[in-house]
Amino acid sequence: MKTLQLEFYKIKRRKVWLTVFAMLAVQMLWGMWALRNPKDWELECGWTALLYTVSLVDGIMMPTIMSVLASRLADIEHKGNTYKQLETLRSAGSLYHAKALCGAIVIAVMFVVQFAFFITLGYHLGYVGHPDVKYYLLSYVLKLASNLSLFLLQLLLSMLFANQMIPLVAGLGGSMIALLLMYVSRYSFLPWGGNLSAALVWMDWDEATRICTYFYREYSPVEIAAVVCIFVWAIVFYIAGRILFARKNI
Amino acid sequence: MNLPLLKTIKAERLKLKRSPVWLAFFFLPMISAFFGTNNYMMNQGILKSEWYSLWSQHSLFLCYFFMPALIGTYCSYLWRLEHMRNNWNGFLTTPVPLSALYLGKLFHAALMIVAGNAWIFLLYFLCGNLCGLESGPPKEAMGWFLGGILSGMAVCCVQLFLSLLIRSFAVPIGIGMAGGIGGMMVTNKGLGLFYPYSLYSIGMRANNPYRELEVGPFVSGCIVYIILFSLLSLWRLRRREL
Repeated sequence: MKTLQLEFYKIKRRKVWLTVFAMLAVQMLWGMWALRNPKDWELECGWTALLYTVSLVDGIMMPTIMSVLASRLADIEHKGNTYKQLETLRSAGSLYHAKALCGAIVIAVMFVVQFAFFITLGYHLGYVGHPDVKYYLLSYVLKLASNLSLFLLQLLLSMLFANQMIPLVAGLGGSMIALLLMYVSRYSFLPWGGNLSAALVWMDWDEATRICTYFYREYSPVEIAAVVCIFVWAIVFYIAGRILFARKNI
Repeated sequence: MNLPLLKTIKAERLKLKRSPVWLAFFFLPMISAFFGTNNYMMNQGILKSEWYSLWSQHSLFLCYFFMPALIGTYCSYLWRLEHMRNNWNGFLTTPVPLSALYLGKLFHAALMIVAGNAWIFLLYFLCGNLCGLESGPPKEAMGWFLGGILSGMAVCCVQLFLSLLIRSFAVPIGIGMAGGIGGMMVTNKGLGLFYPYSLYSIGMRANNPYRELEVGPFVSGCIVYIILFSLLSLWRLRRREL
């Protein structure tokens, strides 16, 4: 608990919150631009479409946002060369644990803000009805899990490599893979495909009428396996990070 | 011959020696080319303009989202060494003009943009041949290549300034990516020539190889951003305290 508290002290003036929310603000601006002036049929299916749209944007942006967040948390120690000193005061495992938890809290808050914004936007645009609480809550949990797994992967890389270029390029590559996966599949077992597998809503586009139909996905067994894989990745990256960081010769 | 500039170019090359910084420019375009070609092959019923369609698939996401961030990564790396420990003291007391110090970094960033663009186009030609496109590559490709380099330089100057201003390695990269996404909206509004991050996708004719480029405004836009942000970087370097 003390170590976690210290993590928040460390990031107090590093504008970590500002960095994350600035990137979230880009999503919000994009949402305001892309969803403006909805047609009647868009108002009808607004709440379902919103889950689909936000999932796609998250799929593209989150790997990079997670790499930036992880790098901000880990780089402070690389720059100050403090790992050795810190490990004389507490175990490497507890330091890793505190950083992972600190990041998880930032991510959880970030998604609360994101959901609150898009729901407010939906009401402002006049979407018919209300958001389906069950699906929105489930979407929140899955989003949290898939992005936590990405964050843990990035934290592992950021703590292992002093050269932050490597984890950030991995994050950018992850964003690109996630984006391109959306073209070819509705699910993926790759860590960067988590947001894709976790998208509860999918879309059909009618070329003749140029109208999209949004619907809640019925998960096939293989798609359920891809969703389970999100949690497996989170556990694997957490354990791997803890072991590799503890063994790292600083 | 500007000797201080040659010295700084050499010094920067030494700093970059053995760093894996080029790997990003090597692998990311490969991912884009792989998926772009795959998408082209699967949708040949709709994508009927051969080389032009293939280019739209190769360039769309790479130019809008990833190249600004990738250029940002390289620029952040160039300044990272100076931001670490007390390296600013050594950097700013080097007996060469500040402009030479800055141009040394800009030279290497420009070199990477040329090499990165050459790789993107090489992959495009290779993939086109692998797809069995019978006609030769379009003549306009040279224009896309040159447009990409010039506009890449504009993005590069913006990112060099941001990385000089912000000590963090990651934040300018995030700004680069956000700028690229914002660029899509700005281009859609028809204001792309006024926004540095849109210039790259416009210069490369990303997703729209038939687009008629207004050469005068495009080149002017790029040059304005290159000069403006270079001057801002020099101003910042002059005001920097040891």
